[in-house]
Amino acid sequence: MGEVVPSAVDNTTAAIAPATARGPESPWRSSLRQLRRNKASMAALGVLIFVTLICLCAPLYANDWAHVNAFSSNISGRIFLNGHWRSVIQANSSGYGESPIGPTWHISNYFLGADSQGRDVFARLLYGGRDSLLIGTASALICVFFATISGLAAGYFGGVIDWIVSRLLDITWAFPVYLLAISLSVILVTSGFSVGPIHVQAGSLLLPIIIIALIYVPYVARPLRGIVMTLKEREFIQAAIGSGASDWRILRKEILPNVAPSIIVFFPLMVAFNMLTESALSFLGVGVQPPNASWGTIINDGLELLYTRPWVAMAPGLMIVITAGALNLLGDGFRDAFDPKAKLRGSI
Amino acid sequence: MLSFTLRRVLSAVLVLFAISIAVFLIFFATPGVDPAARIAGRSASPATLAHVRAAFGLNRPIFIRYLLMMDHLFIKRDLTSYVNVGLKVVPQVLKAAPVTLALVSGAAVIWLVVGVLGGIVAAANRGKFIDPLVMFIGIAAVSVPAYWLGEVVNLITQSRLHSSLFWWVPSGGYVPFTQNPWQWALHLLFPWLTLAALYAGIYARVLRAELVNAMNEDYVRTARAKGLSERRILMKHALRCSLVSIVSLFGLDFGALIGGAALLTEVVFGLQGVGMLTYTSLQNLDLPVIMACVLYGSFFVVLANAVVDILYAFLDPRVRVA
Amino acid sequence: MLKFKSTRKLGVVTSALALTLTGLAGFSASPAGASSYQKAHAGGTLTLLASTAGGTLDPQVNYTLQYWQLYQATYDGLVTFQKVNGPASFTVVPDLATSLPKITNGGKTYTFTLRKGVKFSNGQTVTVNDVKASFIRLFKVSNPNSGSWYNAITGGDACVATPATCTLSGLVVNAATNTVTFNLAKVDPEFIDQLAVPFAAILPAGTPTKDEGSTPVPGTGAYTFQSYNPNSSLVMVRNPYFKVWNAKAQPQGYPNKIVENFGSTVESEVTAVENGQADWVFDPLPADRLGEISTKYASQLQVHQLTADWYVPMNTNIAPFNNLKARQAVNYAINKNNIVKLYGGSRLANTTCTILPKGFPGHTSFCGYTKGGGSKYNGPDIAKAKALVAASGTKGAVVKLVATNDAVNASVAQYIVSVLNQIGYKASVVLQSANIQFNYIQNTNNKVQISLTQWFQDYPAASDFINILLGCSTFHPGSDNSINIAGFCNSGVDAQIKAAETLSITNPTAANVKWGQIDKNLMTNFAPWVPLINPKLTDFVSSRVGNYKFSLEFYMYVDQLWVK
Repeated sequence: MGEVVPSAVDNTTAAIAPATARGPESPWRSSLRQLRRNKASMAALGVLIFVTLICLCAPLYANDWAHVNAFSSNISGRIFLNGHWRSVIQANSSGYGESPIGPTWHISNYFLGADSQGRDVFARLLYGGRDSLLIGTASALICVFFATISGLAAGYFGGVIDWIVSRLLDITWAFPVYLLAISLSVILVTSGFSVGPIHVQAGSLLLPIIIIALIYVPYVARPLRGIVMTLKEREFIQAAIGSGASDWRILRKEILPNVAPSIIVFFPLMVAFNMLTESALSFLGVGVQPPNASWGTIINDGLELLYTRPWVAMAPGLMIVITAGALNLLGDGFRDAFDPKAKLRGSI
Repeated sequence: MLSFTLRRVLSAVLVLFAISIAVFLIFFATPGVDPAARIAGRSASPATLAHVRAAFGLNRPIFIRYLLMMDHLFIKRDLTSYVNVGLKVVPQVLKAAPVTLALVSGAAVIWLVVGVLGGIVAAANRGKFIDPLVMFIGIAAVSVPAYWLGEVVNLITQSRLHSSLFWWVPSGGYVPFTQNPWQWALHLLFPWLTLAALYAGIYARVLRAELVNAMNEDYVRTARAKGLSERRILMKHALRCSLVSIVSLFGLDFGALIGGAALLTEVVFGLQGVGMLTYTSLQNLDLPVIMACVLYGSFFVVLANAVVDILYAFLDPRVRVA
Repeated sequence: MLKFKSTRKLGVVTSALALTLTGLAGFSASPAGASSYQKAHAGGTLTLLASTAGGTLDPQVNYTLQYWQLYQATYDGLVTFQKVNGPASFTVVPDLATSLPKITNGGKTYTFTLRKGVKFSNGQTVTVNDVKASFIRLFKVSNPNSGSWYNAITGGDACVATPATCTLSGLVVNAATNTVTFNLAKVDPEFIDQLAVPFAAILPAGTPTKDEGSTPVPGTGAYTFQSYNPNSSLVMVRNPYFKVWNAKAQPQGYPNKIVENFGSTVESEVTAVENGQADWVFDPLPADRLGEISTKYASQLQVHQLTADWYVPMNTNIAPFNNLKARQAVNYAINKNNIVKLYGGSRLANTTCTILPKGFPGHTSFCGYTKGGGSKYNGPDIAKAKALVAASGTKGAVVKLVATNDAVNASVAQYIVSVLNQIGYKASVVLQSANIQFNYIQNTNNKVQISLTQWFQDYPAASDFINILLGCSTFHPGSDNSINIAGFCNSGVDAQIKAAETLSITNPTAANVKWGQIDKNLMTNFAPWVPLINPKLTDFVSSRVGNYKFSLEFYMYVDQLWVK
């Protein structure tokens, strides 16, 4: 990994060096500069910002532009298209079966057509993006948070703490990932979760967020633990310990900043990973619950219409590919800039 | 080395034990999962229900039920399903295992070949156009939800282009190799490609990163200074070192997939492997089958992890202390 | 539409059979009756597809339509439903008995004479001892209805209490005269029907007295089960010992082998039948293939009306639907035409406002909760619904609707939740696997306020719907088996039900009028449900299949299809 100068030296250098004298640049600055120069990563960042913005604008689109409600059923609804009123769900010409309308390609009028409840697919796609991105990001944050704590604790303190934490990580790691997620979801999603004062409603987004976050903790914690263990052997840490610094201070000032690049590199990858897992859980019916939308639930809705209205399933799938792809590219850029030798198992 | 191996094996066993308890607890707490009513059928009178409960040992305390289940699963090996009465669980898992094995092995061959080639091509041509192209394809492959890809493949081969390009594609399901090898391969072709797509992307990216790193190592610089060609350096020196991480990655992935991690692919293509069995039993809350499938899957993951760890310890003595 | 076996629920049926017993109807040979067997079409293997297996293969335990459809060809009872096309298939005819029973003692004694010379698929000859053993076995394997149907036989209650020592004293068999006599503890107008369903199949006396699960049990039918693996397939072959004794009760079959394969997705099943790789799909057809099937493969699609209800039971004992106005509001608010659309259009379902399905004995036409009133459904009345919700004081209540997670149920449930939100509740949907949901919504401990479910007739009798689903005797608080999901128990209505049942023994026509009145009373003054639609059944067969025949009781005759 890129040689990181201990932070103590950093601060003094930055404080002393006047603007004109070009002293050694902070590694963070140089990393950021390298990132900015990486065209692919910047493009990916642009895509991500764009996707996030349009998804955040979902209420604006639905209420003010397209005038649709993305959540309540609209089975007998009608829209005005090409001078005619048309039913949103129409009988097939043979008289058997009813199909929702296909894409109209008019940006404010059922752009991608309707789903089987007669709802505007494009509006749901935007709302779905909000939920998918929220779940992906929130669970990545929680995952990284817990992984950092457990990785640091296990790697730094060693001994019994390491043994307990490592065994817990092993158990979670060995439990086939999807199975653990599905099992927990099957149980918790129908009935909610209440332990003591903590009470989570069934159907709350908090449940998939926490479940997905927890199952991926070992994924991040194990490499972090390895890094911390290696770090601990380095002279500057030994020196700090020898000089009587408290564990807390060492962790905060010496270890954490050196682990931070790895964490940063992991983060976009975890967001992508978590989004994919959420979509798989929603596809299986144990993630986000209807009528809430996430890209996974829309794919699930779309699969029943796959043969006649493929866009309902294709659109959210493409959105997932674009967003996860951009996150992966960004992750690559982060790695190249911050921590080129990071061993990312699987890189998703 | 021996003590490390022993410690590793012991902790593996402990992990499996903990998982079995976790599965049992998770499913015991589900509301509406009282199997007695489902077994007894609708409109069963309370007396009938009580009889069924007693017959299945469903009215004993949790602790006893857990021990009974473990006894039936491992010692007597006659554990029966709650949903399909009288059907032994272990033979079901063993029957489903070859399907998963066939799916995963075929896909593994494809993804290893494609992934390693892709990684080599990208690393050998880094900086030129082909490098980011390969990486981009890899990223796209890695970002696609597996089940979605499977359904789209189905849509194209079964419906849209079925009468023109893909008339030869069978409509799903599994044909045993012993029954008809040609049909076996035909039925597995698209499942193989779908499953391999995801992993080929990963492996190409990982290998490229490893190769690029290795090319900057001292020993490679030495070889370069000695006048060896870039290609020779790449193929003979860098590759050998990089393959280590590929092999360990492969060990972990293969272990997980054999254990049933390909469940979405199996469900989408109608292959009755361990993944499909797990999925169905989870939907039916068939606790004995869930327990058997999860333990089966965990066993392979734990085994793969232990083997990889032991191999690393063998190769790198520093790790044994950890 | 229905996807999982357990959503095809069987109801209990009653007493139109009294008609046939008194010889008023049914014996008239139906024109669609036993056509002569055409040898040229015999042979070949029929391949059926189902996405999941149907549970145990034991005919005295299995309560799914998926396997009852197969049992027609493999098992026989003393009597059976006539195996012909059309409405005559509701008629009970003698099967292993030589004729319909002599009923004496005020309806409490049924005497049959057993047919001679019939053999099981294991070569053993059927004797009266097999009959006695089969009925005792019912109690020993904890048959779901042993405590509600077959305990009508004297000694039955004792058998339910302690099956191990069951002797069923009320069933007397005489090997010398080859007679079988049932002595009932009380008059049961449905007894003949209960003898005609597969539960009452006659099995060899030596059959183990526990649920045989996936081990096939020998039978007397034209076919026998060769093997069964719920995770892969089920195989039936011809019974080598079978000879036709009454073609209306157990006809000769056409295919040499019948295979049902499990595990594919419904979409790929449809594709397989389209490509001629399989012959029939058990599961309901996915909505997005209906258009394609009904145009390109129209001749292979069969549609039949079912006497069944899709309905929304509301828990009449807990908030907010313990309030009559709230229940009436929901009845006004749901647009049943939308439900028809979600099910697949007006060719596949009809709206219903009554508990008894159209075409069912006792059905009367009325529609209490529609715009403008009247006897036909005319759309919802949202304004009135909102007013009722406000008047009931339940506005803003948190409501959870429990439904199964297959495609059609899930979409209907989502629509209903949307409506509940529209009229002023805070509603959300809870989707569960079909294997859990049906018992979950019955158990009062789960505090289910409202759910979506279906009820199919077992045989044509009004009390099957009204007494079973809304009578006090089937409401068991705290039990997973309390089929009166609405938890409705009203002594006045119960008295009316008892009166109608008693009347049906002597005057079935008058009794049916009474049932109609009870239906109207229930919906108008109590509204425990929202009846939604009466569905139709779609069967999609491959192009090589011929001789499709449909029984109103057990639907398509599997063994009568020819593949050559």
